[in-house]
Amino acid sequence: MDKLDKLKENWQSEEHELPKVSFDKIYKILLKKSSSIVKWIFVISIIELLFWISLYFILPEDNINMMKELGLERVMYYCEIFHFFIFGIFIILFYKNYKSIQVTDSTNVLMQNILNTRKTVRYFVYYNVGMTIAFSIAIDTYLYNNSEKLYEVMGLAKQGIPKEGFANIFIISQIIVGFIIIALLILFYWLVYGILLKKLKGNYRELKKINS
Amino acid sequence: MNKKLEHRFVKLLETNQNIVHKICRLYTNDKDAHDDLFQEITIQLWRAFPKFRGDSKFSTWMYRVSLNTAITLYRKSKRQIDTQDFESISFKIKSEEYDDTTEQQLKLMYDAVKKLNDIDKALVFLYLEDKSYREISGTLGISEVNARVKMNRAKDKLRKILNP
Repeated sequence: MDKLDKLKENWQSEEHELPKVSFDKIYKILLKKSSSIVKWIFVISIIELLFWISLYFILPEDNINMMKELGLERVMYYCEIFHFFIFGIFIILFYKNYKSIQVTDSTNVLMQNILNTRKTVRYFVYYNVGMTIAFSIAIDTYLYNNSEKLYEVMGLAKQGIPKEGFANIFIISQIIVGFIIIALLILFYWLVYGILLKKLKGNYRELKKINS
Repeated sequence: MNKKLEHRFVKLLETNQNIVHKICRLYTNDKDAHDDLFQEITIQLWRAFPKFRGDSKFSTWMYRVSLNTAITLYRKSKRQIDTQDFESISFKIKSEEYDDTTEQQLKLMYDAVKKLNDIDKALVFLYLEDKSYREISGTLGISEVNARVKMNRAKDKLRKILNP
């Protein structure tokens, strides 16, 4: 096949036109895989923070007024500040992990960084789930103890809902909703961070194999 | 020890990187995809490097691992190349050496090679690299006779693509 042989001649003569990747760049590629996973962890945590912040803007005015009347406004405000402060610390830690992985040039340091990142993500998830559970318990207990006030604030009498048994029904529905929210939160973390952590673990194992 | 291994690997890859670039060019369509495949092959080579015992030449081992990676990824992503995309491929041919007809013919031939399936493409690639059937069979893990038969079939396919 003449044409294929002509292509072969041309193929051989084209070597000098191929791109050249430097020694340093190849070195960086070896470490890039873990770096991109850690970058995603950092990016997702920021998106998550933005999502939680945006929730406060779309919260209906009625809910805010209700919190005010129940005397929860100030507590909620401080809780939010505390929560976002901790969230911010985690974002800084994720960023530091990402940066340190980016500049690493040895597999030993990279392995250590992978372990650190995994640890940070685990603590982040524990904190968020733990905080949600603790916050739900605290709010529900407060509302249960102030169920009469809640009944008034919610204007349930006008809607013809009887006062008797309201507290029990309210607390049961709150517990069910709480469980669903926490389950969804765990599912979200398990899906998003779980997959990323699994990939990081795989990279760690490979690096360990190379090292041994 | 590990640092030495890394250094040795990077040095070897730097020297032999043309092999990877040529595979990338054949299996991808644009610069981004080329760079992605180059990175993926580099990582796969590095992962497999501890198993490289030096029984064969580094370049031979590189052909094997790189082609396997390209074929696997090609199958995973099913990055089949569309005919219309061929026009965008910059297949540079020195104008002083070839006239328009030759250039056109080479382009058509190159298009046809890219249309082949992943395995046939690997075969033709090694042929273009001027590898003997023995080397081709060793790289692709098939017998020498099988390599010849497959190569003849690939040539037939190319003929059919060029003269439908």
